Amino acid sequence: MSAQELKTEIESRAEEEASRILGNARGEGEKIVTEAKRKAETLRDERTKTLMRQLDAEETAELAMSRMELRRQFLQAKSEWTNRVFEEAGKRIVEMAQKSKQEYRELLSKLILEGTAKIMRDKFIVEANPRDAEAIKENLKNILEEVQNNKKKKVTLQIMASPTITLGGVIVSTEDRIQYYNNTLEACLSAARQNLAGGLHRVLFKVGE
Amino acid sequence: MIRTLSIEIKELQELIEQERTAEEKVRKAKEEAGAIVKKAREEATLILEAIDSDSCWDEIRRTRKEETARKKAEMEAEHGRKISALSKTVEENFERAVTYIVKEMLRVGL
Repeated sequence: MSAQELKTEIESRAEEEASRILGNARGEGEKIVTEAKRKAETLRDERTKTLMRQLDAEETAELAMSRMELRRQFLQAKSEWTNRVFEEAGKRIVEMAQKSKQEYRELLSKLILEGTAKIMRDKFIVEANPRDAEAIKENLKNILEEVQNNKKKKVTLQIMASPTITLGGVIVSTEDRIQYYNNTLEACLSAARQNLAGGLHRVLFKVGE
Repeated sequence: MIRTLSIEIKELQELIEQERTAEEKVRKAKEEAGAIVKKAREEATLILEAIDSDSCWDEIRRTRKEETARKKAEMEAEHGRKISALSKTVEENFERAVTYIVKEMLRVGL
C-alpha cells in the first residue's frame, strides 16, 4: 500500500468514525426527545385525570352544599308558613274567647272534660281567667253532667278565677293540686303544633286545590 | 539513498499529520455528538417542565368553575321557582289550613 493510499484510508476511516459518532448522537438525541414527549403525554394524561377527579369532587361537594342550603331555605320557608298558620289560628281562637262565642264556650267544656278524664279523681279544681271562669260557671250544670257521664261517677268541680291564665282555656287539677292537666290555650296551641303539623302540611302544601 | 530516505520521512510525516487530522476530526465529532445529546436532554427537560407551566390546567379549572357556577345558578333558579310555587300554593290553601287548625283545636280529642 502506497503512502497516498494509506492517507486516503486514514481519512476515510476518520470520516466513517465521525459520521458514526454523529449518527449515534443524533439517534440518541431523537430517542431522548421522543421518550420525553411520550413521558410528557403520559404525565399530562395522568395529571388531567387527577385534576378532573379533584374538580369532580370539588364540584360534587360544592353542589351538595348548595343543594343542602337551598333545601334548608325551602324547609325554612315551609316552617315559616306553618308558623303563620298556627299564629293566625291562635289569634282566631283568642278572638273567639274574647267574644265569648258559643264555639268557645263549647271548647271550654271540652277542655274541662278532657282534663278531668286524664286525672283519676273525683274532686277537681278548674282554673280559668276571670272571663272564662264566669262563662264556665254559667254552664256549670251541663259541664258537670257531662263530666259525670264520662267518668261514670259523681264528681265535684270547683271553679277558680286565675288572672295568670291570660289567653284562655283551663287548668284542671286535683283538690290537693298534686296532679294537674294544663289545657290553657297556650298549652293547646303548643300541643297542636306538635300533633297537627302533619295534617296541616297536607292541607297547607297540597297542590292543585 | 539519502534522497530515497528523505522522501520516505516526508511521507511518514505526512501520514502522521494525516493521522492527527483524522484524530481531530473524530474528536470534533465526539464534541459535536456530546452537544447534540446535551441539547436533546435540555429539550426533554423543557418538554417535561412545560407540563407544569402549561396554561391548560388553569383553563380546565376556569372552565370547570364556570360549569359549576352555571349548575349552581340553575339550582338556585329552580329553587326560586319552587319557592314561588310554594307561596302560590300556600296562599291558595292558607285560609283552609287556618280553618283546619281552629277546627281541630276546638274538637279536643278525649
